[in-house]
Amino acid sequence: MDFTLPQASSYAGSIDGLILLITVLAGAWLLLAEGFFFWLIWRFRARDGVRTQYLDGTEPHIKKWISRPHTLILILDVVVIVAAIRVWVNVKQTLPVADATIRVIGQQWGWVFQQPGADRQLDTADDIYTTDDLYVENQKTYHFQLQSRDVLHSFSVPVFRIKQDVVPGRTITGWFTPIAAGTYDIQCVEICGIGHGVMGGRIHVQDANEHAAWIAGNTPTVTQ
Amino acid sequence: MSRVRSLQVSVVLAGVVLAGCGGPPQQGIARGKDLYDTCVPCHGSDGSGSQLLGAPSIGGLPAWYVEAQLKTFQAGHRGYEAFDTVGIRMKTMAWSLDLEGDNASVAAYVASLPRPVVPGGSVIGDAQAGQASFALCATCHGADGAGNEAMHAPPLAGQHDWYLLAQLQKFQAGWRGTRTGDVWGAAMRPNAMLLDPAAMQNVVAYIQTLK
Repeated sequence: MDFTLPQASSYAGSIDGLILLITVLAGAWLLLAEGFFFWLIWRFRARDGVRTQYLDGTEPHIKKWISRPHTLILILDVVVIVAAIRVWVNVKQTLPVADATIRVIGQQWGWVFQQPGADRQLDTADDIYTTDDLYVENQKTYHFQLQSRDVLHSFSVPVFRIKQDVVPGRTITGWFTPIAAGTYDIQCVEICGIGHGVMGGRIHVQDANEHAAWIAGNTPTVTQ
Repeated sequence: MSRVRSLQVSVVLAGVVLAGCGGPPQQGIARGKDLYDTCVPCHGSDGSGSQLLGAPSIGGLPAWYVEAQLKTFQAGHRGYEAFDTVGIRMKTMAWSLDLEGDNASVAAYVASLPRPVVPGGSVIGDAQAGQASFALCATCHGADGAGNEAMHAPPLAGQHDWYLLAQLQKFQAGWRGTRTGDVWGAAMRPNAMLLDPAAMQNVVAYIQTLK
């Protein structure tokens, strides 16, 4: 059994790296702090003839055990913030040049996908519409326009590390570049009604030839 | 109580608890009634449907038809078209019936409901003109519109007029009856193709006169 989620988009690794950084830093401090506290409990355990002391925490040689870790944590917070902003700018604030633009439409309770047909232009007569299944080409950059027909949804492709809310009345633009061919899950991760739990879909990342054949085979015939 | 006796009681109680945790649910009308809770928001507790949500009247429909349509949705033979918002919604809900026997149980419960009396008047047409068109429909659905299981033709009488019109339009547009494997949908589609918009309204108006 594979316990790790594949990284199937160009930025999945950077998001995982950020989460790993936070986990390692927070985890290391957790272990250190808990270890220190348990050591204090053992070191200053009750002993015959030794009276309990009241410490108000103002003496420098005691206070340093708080202030120095505190300073270190603040420094590491800055490290995490800088790393997070770098990922945020790359994933959310930067829109690389697209090879194609698709539209993802959420509704109770399914996903509808509109993508260019053979003319490679969206919103033309030969657009391809699909429900539940989205077909994209590996190693190509896609802009997606998220729309909702009814209520709030959230477009999630776990292997891409995408999770973006879909808001009625708005078009929210994002992007992804698939890097691994295969079929992966799409899910709605914003409770949207009684059918939310089964509002899923699939994204098929195809190689160039396979995708070209799919486009050719599914582009509707346009009568002039 | 001796220690051995306590152990025996504990084992029996643990067995009872574990037995309750495992195994599939008992299928039947009671199970169907429970499952029907998820249908209520659109179809109503009495199965009378909702025009606002595009949900037909299903109360009292024959179990064979309800079960067949659930399977049709589950197979993606209905609700596959990108603009069929109502069909997409129902397809997903049909997917939630994922245990062996769920379809039959909920269909049995729906069939056990009294057939609701639905209001008409949403579709205006010439019922007299529609009667002539209905002659073709009658070969499968029956002259009284009561349906025919042998032909996989559902009852039409007593159904919402707006729903009947919408289904004719969907068949004509290819939103129903075009998927490979949908044998009975494919059989219906050519008949819908024969009707122009006015004829559709007329035949629906005639169906509303059937009781």
